[in-house]
Amino acid sequence: MSAIGQTAKISLRGVEKRFASARGEEQVALSLVDMDIASGEFVCLVGPSGCGKTTLINLMAGFERATTGTVTIDGRPVTGPDPDHIMIFQDYGLYPWKSVLDNILFGLQARRVPAPEARERARAALELVGLQAAAGKHPHELSGGMKQRVAIARALAVEPSVLFMDEPFAALDAFTRLYLQDELLQLWSEKRPTVVFVTHDLDEAITLGQRVVLMAPNPGRVQRVLDVELVYPRERTGNDFSLFRRELFQEFHLVHQQAAEEEEYSI
Amino acid sequence: MKTKLTHILLPISSLIAFTVLWQLAARRYPPEQFPSPSDVVKAIAELAASGVLWGHIAISLIRFGGAYLLAVAVAIPLGLFLGRFSRCHRAIDPLIQILRPISPIAWFPLAVLWFGIGNAPAVFIIFLAAFYPVLLSTISAVRAVSPVYLKVAANFGANPAMTFLRVIVPAAFPGIMVGLHIAVGTAWIHLVAGEMLGAQSGLGFMIVDARNFLRTDEIMAGMLLVGLLGLAIYQGMKAVERLIGRRWGVKA
Repeated sequence: MSAIGQTAKISLRGVEKRFASARGEEQVALSLVDMDIASGEFVCLVGPSGCGKTTLINLMAGFERATTGTVTIDGRPVTGPDPDHIMIFQDYGLYPWKSVLDNILFGLQARRVPAPEARERARAALELVGLQAAAGKHPHELSGGMKQRVAIARALAVEPSVLFMDEPFAALDAFTRLYLQDELLQLWSEKRPTVVFVTHDLDEAITLGQRVVLMAPNPGRVQRVLDVELVYPRERTGNDFSLFRRELFQEFHLVHQQAAEEEEYSI
Repeated sequence: MKTKLTHILLPISSLIAFTVLWQLAARRYPPEQFPSPSDVVKAIAELAASGVLWGHIAISLIRFGGAYLLAVAVAIPLGLFLGRFSRCHRAIDPLIQILRPISPIAWFPLAVLWFGIGNAPAVFIIFLAAFYPVLLSTISAVRAVSPVYLKVAANFGANPAMTFLRVIVPAAFPGIMVGLHIAVGTAWIHLVAGEMLGAQSGLGFMIVDARNFLRTDEIMAGMLLVGLLGLAIYQGMKAVERLIGRRWGVKA
């Protein structure tokens, strides 16, 4: 499932992100990341806060620039956000003054899709996430889970080749989260976009990702890459699942310990 | 049901109590010095019967509406521009901060010098009174637009015009509405001041005119009408806000 032997869809080479802190010291948010993500792959970035996972996804999505190193998608360097690579945010990013349908139409109108076709595609996207009945509603009338499904529909309507998802289910209750995980996998298997999914939930990462990239803080870096060789849909209570879970948790504890020790040294 | 009743009964009873106290207090003074509520109502009836009242109210409302809309028409585009381009805002902000604390009334001598007596100085003063609240709230509303809205627009490849008109302006709208609301109040207050100082018509003029004839009942009639019309305009504004709030998906 890894990208060896294929041309990578997303490719990071020596990517580093530094910034000056408020005190003027240089902080390393992300240190020397090399990574290849294959077309159609589902990759989860997981790690504690400060590990640079959000920075990393923002670099890939073009919302931030790397200090050194290169990020390329389809062989072209990423210079800014691109309608072919859509980001899904934790707080949905829906426009509250627009109806659900108009929110989805927004992306298509920005792409200058002719009105009748845009309508058709928006309705089809709504159908994909099972929200046809909510087309005329406004976001404030929807639950968090429904809002995120609208955001996913808005993304799918423009048929992006890459979906970036930045902790998209973190604000939802546990049941809705499980439900949306399954729904996302279903959509992924139908449309096969490349998905980069950031989460701080190890179980979520193992449920979703073909590869799980565990990251560590101080400085933000890749600690371990785990290939999760389980068939979909994955049985969350299965033995194989538990094996991967144990491995990831052990590694995570290591990261945790390191971070705690470093903190002790710095005091 | 009980709460609904108290919602209506409480304000009404306080108004009745106030009127009774006023009536009782007015008994102790000659009516030329402190007219009673019944004198004031009588004065309003007389003014209405003679027909002068409607002319004054109409001209006041036209001045108010015209000056207010003019202020809004200048302040909102300027505010959108300054909110979007922070460099221009940084350049112009000190000027705004110096001009804003100057009471519109202080402009009056210059306004008469520049525009003469009549509509123009009153309109100018109302314009100033409405201008700053709308300008400042528009600027801060644009600057407060959630970054995620802009990220989404950029992500889908919306061009600058689409981002501005279809994301920034509607996102800033509830904030602009706050300024429009405040501006209605300050503009209405300054309407009377503007008309008292230079105009030959309107409710403000009516009050000054009554003073010249020592008609205290008509002075109070004018004041009461200014208050009631102000209340009506305020209620109208609130109704519009609720309507827009529902459309925008925010609770007003």
